[in-house]
Amino acid sequence: MIQVKQLHPLFVGEVSGVDLRNPVDPETLGEIVKAWDQYGVLVLRDQFIDDAQQMDFSEKLGALAQTSLTLRKDYKPRLDPRITDISNLNQDNEVVGATDRRRLYALANRFWHTDNAFRRIPAKYSLLSARAIPSEGGETEFADMRAAYDALPEKTKTWLEGKIAMHSIVYSREIIGFTDYSKEERDGLPSVPHVMVRTHPGSGRKSIYLASYAHEILGMPTPEARMMIHDLMEHATQRQFVYAHKWRVGDLVMWDNRCMMHRARDYDMTQKRDLHRTTVKDDAPTVPEAMVA
Amino acid sequence: MLGPLETTIKAIRPGHKARLNLHVSDVSNLDEKSRVLEASDRRRMNGLGNRLWHTDSSFKKTPAKYSLLSARVIPPEGGETEFADLRAAYDALPDKMKARLEGLVAIHCILHSRATIGFTDYSPEERERLQPVPQLIVRTHPGSGRKTLYLASHAGEIQGMPTPEARMLLHDLMEHATQRPFVYTHRWRVGDIVMWDDRCTMHRAREYDMRHPRDMHRTTVSDVAPSVEQAQVA
Repeated sequence: MIQVKQLHPLFVGEVSGVDLRNPVDPETLGEIVKAWDQYGVLVLRDQFIDDAQQMDFSEKLGALAQTSLTLRKDYKPRLDPRITDISNLNQDNEVVGATDRRRLYALANRFWHTDNAFRRIPAKYSLLSARAIPSEGGETEFADMRAAYDALPEKTKTWLEGKIAMHSIVYSREIIGFTDYSKEERDGLPSVPHVMVRTHPGSGRKSIYLASYAHEILGMPTPEARMMIHDLMEHATQRQFVYAHKWRVGDLVMWDNRCMMHRARDYDMTQKRDLHRTTVKDDAPTVPEAMVA
Repeated sequence: MLGPLETTIKAIRPGHKARLNLHVSDVSNLDEKSRVLEASDRRRMNGLGNRLWHTDSSFKKTPAKYSLLSARVIPPEGGETEFADLRAAYDALPDKMKARLEGLVAIHCILHSRATIGFTDYSPEERERLQPVPQLIVRTHPGSGRKTLYLASHAGEIQGMPTPEARMLLHDLMEHATQRPFVYTHRWRVGDIVMWDDRCTMHRAREYDMRHPRDMHRTTVSDVAPSVEQAQVA
């Protein structure tokens, strides 16, 4: 049996009684998923796993997504393409320079987002393993989109029902003035539609589905849509909905992208920060093909 | 009596039909005949940008010192104005951040803040006259002697910093400065005049049902000199 201790008044469970260096039996996996449905974010301490062990466990939860970094012709992978490289390191494991493209690109992870919302089939789960951390800063913050939804005025809930937002990673990078994308990347990363309210199949709870990738709401003039997205984002990330995770090496933090947002916080980028993420795909697009055509 | 009045930048646009004196900023959702603007009207879209945190006229070389806003007609609900105390926000910064910000110069441009909400409908005359200007990120208020952040959604660059890094720093500072403990929300009554010091506060409008008229008249008093020059004198 796993044990779960709640770390925030609304969400986040710290799970003990699991060692991911060993294969996880179906019964334990079921308990983990059940806790995940309830807590949204799970923290597992002292999981000194390697990439193979991380991928093995993640694959039990569903098909893994490949990192979008591979779209770039000049991409030199440091890790397996099924591992998203959340680090400030180059392929020789050295800290990248202050003006390095990869560093400037990664700055946008400091905007609130949910993983792969810029794809037709977004992420279901993300699992992030801390291998090296800076001496201070670099926390990851999570916001509970179910609680944020519950706290919306009835009028806004009604308004949001059935609304579709367009998401683009190129847009979220443009906001910070990052436009260094190749043609392959632009073609491979078109704007995609997502519903703005989702119902979680495990908990039955409704949640806001939002990310800094959202730049339009269908049927609305752009400035009005942007202000709506801006106000919703502000509402959803109020401190009472937010948990800040201070990393320790060996932490594995796993979140449910269908009902959580997250972001990285600032740190001294001359220090090493090395986190490895596996990403489990969702089952289907949030907006069915038939509705898009 | 407080200083020279600004002229509204709306007058730069050819064909601008003024509803009010050019020294009064028309903070309303009304056209020149005092009718509520159509949902897709350019003026209404442009006005949405006032819902982003800002301090008045920071996109002018010499920005605003004081703004005086008089409520003539208000909607039945919403449409509040929120104010953030940038002196308190400065005081609450970690010492490391205070040291990092000292002497930094941000570049402000109203086209930038409007572009973030996808509003780009500016005439060549407007683009010519609304060029980016430098403003100090930390100012000292001459009346109180207090240090203050000087920020607005118009700021899109910091001199000497790569753009993505500057934008993230400005974004984090904006979030810090507008935390609820630093914010006052003003619920309007007709007849209210609210006056603020643009050198050490930010403000923004809140949403309301724009089918209802909201009519506020603002006078704006110019500061004595550009913020960058004031620092060199001090």
